[in-house]
Amino acid sequence: VDRNNFKTCDQSGFCKRLRPFKPEKSQYTLNLDTVIVHGNVLSAEVTTANTEAEKKVPLWKYSLTLSALVDGTFRIQVDEADPIYPRYRTQLALDGEPKADGLQLVSKEGGKVTLTNTQGHKVLITAEPLKFEFLDQNGDVAVVINENSQLLIEPLRLKREKNDEDEENAENAVEVEEEGTWGENFKSHHDSKPRGNEAVSLDVSFPDADQIYGIPEHTDKFALRTTTSGEPYRLYNLDVFEYELDSRMAIYGAVPVLYAHGSKRTVGVFWHNSAETWVDVVNYADGTVVSSLVNLVTGGHKRRVDARFISESGIVDVFVMLGNKPADVFRQYTKLTGVTPLPPKFSLAYHQSRWNYVDEADVRGVDENFDVHDIPADVIWLDIEYTDRKKYFTWDSEKFRHPAEMVANLTAKGRRLVVIIDPHIKREAGYFLHEDATEQGLYVKDKDGNIYEGWCWPGSSSYLDFFNPAASKYYSERYRFENFPGTSKDVHIWNDMNEPSVFNGPEITMPKDCRHYKPPQDGQDGLASYWEHRHIHNEYGLWQIRATNEGMLERADHKYRPFILTRSTFAGTQRYAAVWTGDNAAEWGFLQASVPMCLSLAAAGVSFCGSDVGGFFKYPEPELMTRWYQAGAYQAFFRAHSHIETKRREPWLYEPSTTALLRDAVRRRYALLDFWYTLFYEHTLDGTPVTRPYFQEYPNEEETYTIDDQYLLGDKLLVRPVLEAGAKSVKVYLPGRDTNTLWYDVDSYQMHKANGYFNQEVNIAKIPVYQRGGSVVPRRERVRRSSTLMANDPFTLVVALDANNTAQGSLYIDDGETYEYKNNKYIYAKISYEPKQMTYTLVNPSAQFSSRAWIERIVIAGIRAAPRTARLHHGGRSTALQMTLHRGNDVLVIRKPGAPVSEDWSIQFAE
Amino acid sequence: QSDVPRPRGVSLSKASLYSPTKDFTCFDGTVTIPFNYVNDDYCDCFDGSDEPGTSACLNGVFHCTNAGHRPENIPSSRVNDGVCDCCDGTDEYAQPETCKNTCEEMGREARAEAQRLADLHKAGNHLRLELIEKGKKKRNELAEQLSQLEKDKTEAIKIKEEKESLKNQLEAKENEVLQVYRDAEEKERKRKAEEEKEALIKEGTEYFSMFDTNDDNVLTVDEVKVVNAFDKNKDGEVDQEEIQYFLGTNESVDKETFLSTTWPMLKPFAMSEQGVFQRGVENEELDDQDTDEATRDIETDEGDNEEENAEDDLPQDVDQEVEPESSRIYDDETQKIVDEASEARRQWTDAERAVREIESNIRNFQQNLEKDYGLQQEYATLDGQCLEYEDKEYVYKLCLFQKVTQKSKNGGAEVGLGNWGEWAGEDNKKYSVMKYTNGIACWNGPNRMTTVNIHCGLETKMLSVSEPYRCEYNIELATPAACDDSNASQQQSHDEL
Repeated sequence: VDRNNFKTCDQSGFCKRLRPFKPEKSQYTLNLDTVIVHGNVLSAEVTTANTEAEKKVPLWKYSLTLSALVDGTFRIQVDEADPIYPRYRTQLALDGEPKADGLQLVSKEGGKVTLTNTQGHKVLITAEPLKFEFLDQNGDVAVVINENSQLLIEPLRLKREKNDEDEENAENAVEVEEEGTWGENFKSHHDSKPRGNEAVSLDVSFPDADQIYGIPEHTDKFALRTTTSGEPYRLYNLDVFEYELDSRMAIYGAVPVLYAHGSKRTVGVFWHNSAETWVDVVNYADGTVVSSLVNLVTGGHKRRVDARFISESGIVDVFVMLGNKPADVFRQYTKLTGVTPLPPKFSLAYHQSRWNYVDEADVRGVDENFDVHDIPADVIWLDIEYTDRKKYFTWDSEKFRHPAEMVANLTAKGRRLVVIIDPHIKREAGYFLHEDATEQGLYVKDKDGNIYEGWCWPGSSSYLDFFNPAASKYYSERYRFENFPGTSKDVHIWNDMNEPSVFNGPEITMPKDCRHYKPPQDGQDGLASYWEHRHIHNEYGLWQIRATNEGMLERADHKYRPFILTRSTFAGTQRYAAVWTGDNAAEWGFLQASVPMCLSLAAAGVSFCGSDVGGFFKYPEPELMTRWYQAGAYQAFFRAHSHIETKRREPWLYEPSTTALLRDAVRRRYALLDFWYTLFYEHTLDGTPVTRPYFQEYPNEEETYTIDDQYLLGDKLLVRPVLEAGAKSVKVYLPGRDTNTLWYDVDSYQMHKANGYFNQEVNIAKIPVYQRGGSVVPRRERVRRSSTLMANDPFTLVVALDANNTAQGSLYIDDGETYEYKNNKYIYAKISYEPKQMTYTLVNPSAQFSSRAWIERIVIAGIRAAPRTARLHHGGRSTALQMTLHRGNDVLVIRKPGAPVSEDWSIQFAE
Repeated sequence: QSDVPRPRGVSLSKASLYSPTKDFTCFDGTVTIPFNYVNDDYCDCFDGSDEPGTSACLNGVFHCTNAGHRPENIPSSRVNDGVCDCCDGTDEYAQPETCKNTCEEMGREARAEAQRLADLHKAGNHLRLELIEKGKKKRNELAEQLSQLEKDKTEAIKIKEEKESLKNQLEAKENEVLQVYRDAEEKERKRKAEEEKEALIKEGTEYFSMFDTNDDNVLTVDEVKVVNAFDKNKDGEVDQEEIQYFLGTNESVDKETFLSTTWPMLKPFAMSEQGVFQRGVENEELDDQDTDEATRDIETDEGDNEEENAEDDLPQDVDQEVEPESSRIYDDETQKIVDEASEARRQWTDAERAVREIESNIRNFQQNLEKDYGLQQEYATLDGQCLEYEDKEYVYKLCLFQKVTQKSKNGGAEVGLGNWGEWAGEDNKKYSVMKYTNGIACWNGPNRMTTVNIHCGLETKMLSVSEPYRCEYNIELATPAACDDSNASQQQSHDEL
């Protein structure tokens, strides 16, 4: 990375200004007389005192609301009581208005207000200095806001004209304007800052917390580190060329949610703000935190983490989620910002991409080679070169003369095409999109109100202003089949460069003083009549993918589920798109980083995450390529991709022995595709991550808190990808010691008792994956050319027994691509094993889906006392089943039970 | 089509391995199962042999007879997946209406294509025979020219040897008369060296006494530290590195060692310190600063720059120029002898060059003769022939057995896509593929290379050029040299099986 292109805190005016701000005590005071509790909302006035000590905080009035929301969540909003024009409130992060919980005023005495919700959480508001304490259901303080007095809202002011020499206005004259208030420079770029300073800041303390997590996207560890001695974590969506590892620099995504975890509880805070944001972290257990400070703040008690958000603009709008287990707090966050809707099934399979497959013959060749080499694949991707000279919604008419035929050739084998559509629009006379956007005023404007021009792939470009409903609507309509000839319901979309990337812009993005559309309102003109890019920056990509999503729904009459991949990420992105970790490189470090990066995104709602398998820049040698495929096979978004200037690397271009390993990795993915699909279905029900950190399932096991090179899929599979060159063995942590958890190696069914770390020997073919004792995992072992072609194939159920010889699992099946599941056209079955019987039961009997799939095999691992007979009971009939016991590893295989997946059945075992 | 009863998906040749009257043993011999487990849609054999007709085994093989066309083996994962893979449609028996039997049609087309190829090869074969004839002729001519060259070489070597002997003779004479001059020069040189050495020691001794402030005849680190001359990088401080540079690892240095080791190194700095070597310093420094600015923009590591500059500032030893012998003035007689020797040297050099030229020619001819032009020299006359192919953006040029280039239509330099490498066809088709390797390197990538796939055609021309992999080009080339009617007839009979 060229760090010179990107700001440090010191180069970012508001960060430099606010970071040192830490007054003795907060100047913000709650005016107790104004407190009103109505419905689920407390509203009150907050004022600041103009003390001598802190000139930074002038005498000012603010409005406070505190609302109780369902599922143990509270929201605090602080805005100016009467701003000279409205401050920006982030619009798309929330999945609709959060649902209210009851809020009751318990007491208002001694300078304190005490409130409670219906779940027994309490909020204590201290009036002066203002402080909020959130108490868990045991009455212990779980979250404190403004403990460190860093609440700050810079009031909006009018810029005084230079010729204004009004002597009478003495008060204003005394006020010294800080340098940079009305304009800042970075490198050759000038930010005109027409509204002056408008930053906000807030500190949050987490007593009893061992670690905090969240605020993706960074290349740092999953557990956040103390920032005192360096840069804060930065949240500002940026296209960072050759981004670096182990860094708190901002990259493509910014999700301002934090989770604090300790053995006592897990809580979370969602900072609802789309402006550039910096986050400082102090973990009192961290060696770098001065011990005197630890003693001062925590009374010698080392478990506590403080965090602090600093944003350039907006209001203070923060959600406090009181958990109190990890799964609860992850769910609470997705209740606010939404879950990943059930993806079309193909999108969970293997994707083959390259910048670029050069023409139709190339696409056909790649497609055919997957069959020649017997490697399954579901999707071929086209990067920017398929277009007519980077004009989106067009095709290069020489190289892609028959796109519809090309797509048909793919769909004949159940495959799909994904094409890229970026938000920058080529400024070329005669290009319909550019002409329409110019004519209809759909572009983002510059600081003077003219159409903004930046530089991107096509050269001179302008950017659609999705904040303008007409622009979003127009954009959505471009996806109609008649407007984008050659596409069909089987062509899906990749929205890249949507930070937005502007090659000649400050920090390779759009200038902050660019103007976005704001719905006109009476009496609002001038600065009140538009939003600046600084207010909305991190949200920009979300507006684009929302319009894409809408367009893809409409093009097929809302019948088919769209698949979208986005690079820019914000809170709520998961409702529309999958995310990948951007332009990585073929280096072991980037393979390693993909695991914590996706764990962090998954915790922040974005379970559908992956990295460019093989690395985007550079060329992966066979070992790295093999390990990356093996890792990718167990990450949600599984796509190989590469840079145009790199050597081709489709799986068959390696030595046959390597190709065989890549084939094996991809086949493993396909065998587990229904397991993945079921996990994503269950994610829509409970909102918890599909790929999970250990502590989500084992919250009391302290060793797991910082583990981020291995993880769980649902609560059933444990994955420890091999991330090191030349590995002969890897350290695998098996959690669940206290609950006598057993883990079965999925290759051998060898049982391990959970006891922390052990060394797993590996060769180049080995991927250490373990199934938890007590779980049932569905597999399809007849791997075909694509997932679509496997729809009617039979299942193998792998039952791994726990210490009590029981196991549970589930299976979800539907048509894989439509919304018919919302009309009860699906199968969702719970599978339960006990020593005497195994049952398969539809959870919702009114949901039906006709499937020819059946159960061809049941594998029971860890069986000590094998039954002599087994009979299948189904539809009033009873059939004797054949079984084989494999003594060596205590595995019982039931041969061909032939039970259907669409109806209830049971198997009775007898001694 | 055969009437031998066999399980679904089994080829005629393997039918005998599936006997309904016996238990079935997997081909790998590991498991024996009742015969009714064969094709029962459950995989019992690790090798997949019990399920030739279903998709139950991951590694199974399904055989389609494809009567009317070519029989085929497909992976059993393609059985009943809804895609028609066999032209007779037998792979989709679960839903027989899915696939039509297209074998007759496809067979007809395949036979017609085979016939077309056979005709082409037949027509092209005449041209190929001509090429072979010309190739052989060319080769014979080359061989003849080569043998003539060998003769020329013998002659040239003879001349060279004569000239060499004459040269040696005259040079001996020349040496003799020049010895007098050389001796005188040597004496003068020694005298000067001696003088200089003495001066150095004298100077060194003076400086030593100056540095040796306590007059104990030993220079210590402390004494050195205060002397500016030791501040090699001129950072205002004599640091450890600099002390080590001049004194070695010792804590101190005595006079003898100082004079022999330290002083020669130190002298330039000491002189510079005194301004002895500061010729036109002011101007130079200005220049240096300018370049400094320029480099700073490119190089971020300023530390490196300073070090380089420090070395630049070092006064250079001025080499004492040795006058060339030729420029000296001799007496007339000596001059005559020198001139004669010079002339003999020139003639000998010319003779030697002539030999080298012939040898180089011989090597070229040998290389050409060694070049592999096909089993019957059918490609020999194509050597050096250049073909062009244009697409939207580029003009490609292939000079056979030489090189491949690409030139953008928008101008710009020619880019080498590879130089003649080798024949690279697989197995018995060695002469179907040419490789041109080691072209211009790609940005961030390997050297460009080109693969030429050769097909039978009535004229030699490029059919297409593509870049399937970055910086790896593919040319489809047609030429009569690749036509072979014996080959074609074989192919045809195979197709009709």
